[in-house]
Amino acid sequence: MGCETVRICCTINSRQKTIDIPANLTALQLLRDVLKLKGTKEGCGIGECGACTIQVDGKAVNACLMLAAQLDGRNIITIEGLGESGKLHPLQESFGKNHAVQCGFCTPGLVMSAKALLDENPSPNRAQISKAIAGNLCRCTGYQQIFSSIEDAIQGGSEEGHDG
Amino acid sequence: MVNFAYRRPKSLAEALDFLSSCGNKTKVLAGGTDLTVDLRQGSAQPEYVLDTSRLDELKGIELSNGQLCIGAGVTLTEIYESALLERYTPALQKCAATFASKQIRNVATIGGNVAHCSPCADTLPPLLIHEAKAILASNKGLRETPIEDVASGPYESSLRPDEIILRFILKPSKDINFADFQKIGRRKALATARITMAFMARQDADRKISFLRFALGACTPTPQRIALVEDYLACRVPTVQTLWEAGGLLAESVLEITGRRPSASYKEPAVRGLSVRMLYPLVHVGA
Repeated sequence: MGCETVRICCTINSRQKTIDIPANLTALQLLRDVLKLKGTKEGCGIGECGACTIQVDGKAVNACLMLAAQLDGRNIITIEGLGESGKLHPLQESFGKNHAVQCGFCTPGLVMSAKALLDENPSPNRAQISKAIAGNLCRCTGYQQIFSSIEDAIQGGSEEGHDG
Repeated sequence: MVNFAYRRPKSLAEALDFLSSCGNKTKVLAGGTDLTVDLRQGSAQPEYVLDTSRLDELKGIELSNGQLCIGAGVTLTEIYESALLERYTPALQKCAATFASKQIRNVATIGGNVAHCSPCADTLPPLLIHEAKAILASNKGLRETPIEDVASGPYESSLRPDEIILRFILKPSKDINFADFQKIGRRKALATARITMAFMARQDADRKISFLRFALGACTPTPQRIALVEDYLACRVPTVQTLWEAGGLLAESVLEITGRRPSASYKEPAVRGLSVRMLYPLVHVGA
């Protein structure tokens, strides 16, 4: 039996898309396999590792736990939507600078969780950062560099006007 | 992923119409954070997935006529952020604060958590201490059921195929000075809870406990209030020793409900210890 097709209209990284998809496609499969946005990773596939974190209407969610059909009418931002042409997002800069990337598999998800946090609260404290990224596993860094990166990006953000 | 057709009704009436004819081959999607896993693993094989996540009729938190009303489609993030629930159901709010992860709290709903009937559904113990009722809707009208009757067993719902949970009605806490939710899992975020518990209490000026509600989850087939603990502590001035005694009664109740299984050597002290930790402020504060 072939799967029923569903038409969805959504905005992905500021681009309006109308796509026909099988009803049983997950949001993660839509991004990776249909749209070839491979920055969003599949780790566990059951919502435990956070590697597939994206923003839907500004909120961090696990793309593996959503049907693509649920994205209809929504505004989606993936890791590919961060930064401007040729210029990294301050969080991406900061992750690189602070050695928060080792194998790199968790990085897109962690950056997306951090971005969703900063969108909501531009100056979170360490406890708030910890709560926001508790759903993202990293098996390499031990998290300290990730905390430093996010804290650094917050400070960088406030100094942006001075040092350009 | 199994094959299914996706339906997103525009209104509650449309959803109930659909369920009245196709309910027995349909899985209702509230947030989807449990259902997508079941669909992926094949433990759910519906013909239809009915997406109720955008129904306004399932949204909203309000206090009216002395009763708290929480829509089944309210997300855990919305529970956490609600000033009303912070004031009137502090244990539920604490539960929402520690529920899974931020990504899941943003999508998962209280109705989905209850309807999935997992023994370790975090929201159950807090709902139980507020004597919550579920309002179920179908084409035939509304009916009310105590929250403890929604699950007839682990992952077994007592809802009819044509029914969905519309909202929950809770008794708001009144004049309580203590409330908490505690859980033990293998790690802080995301881990499936091994033990969950919630309580709220009123302690009078003479330090006597004049009101206590206590509920336990995850380590029994369905979460439940533990009358033995409530009765034991009622009207007492608690001491560390009485808390340990109450914890002992709690551990005994658990073993009585579940039978002495291999996990008992862990559960017995863990349940007891967690209850003492949770109830300790009754002894400590103002002592």
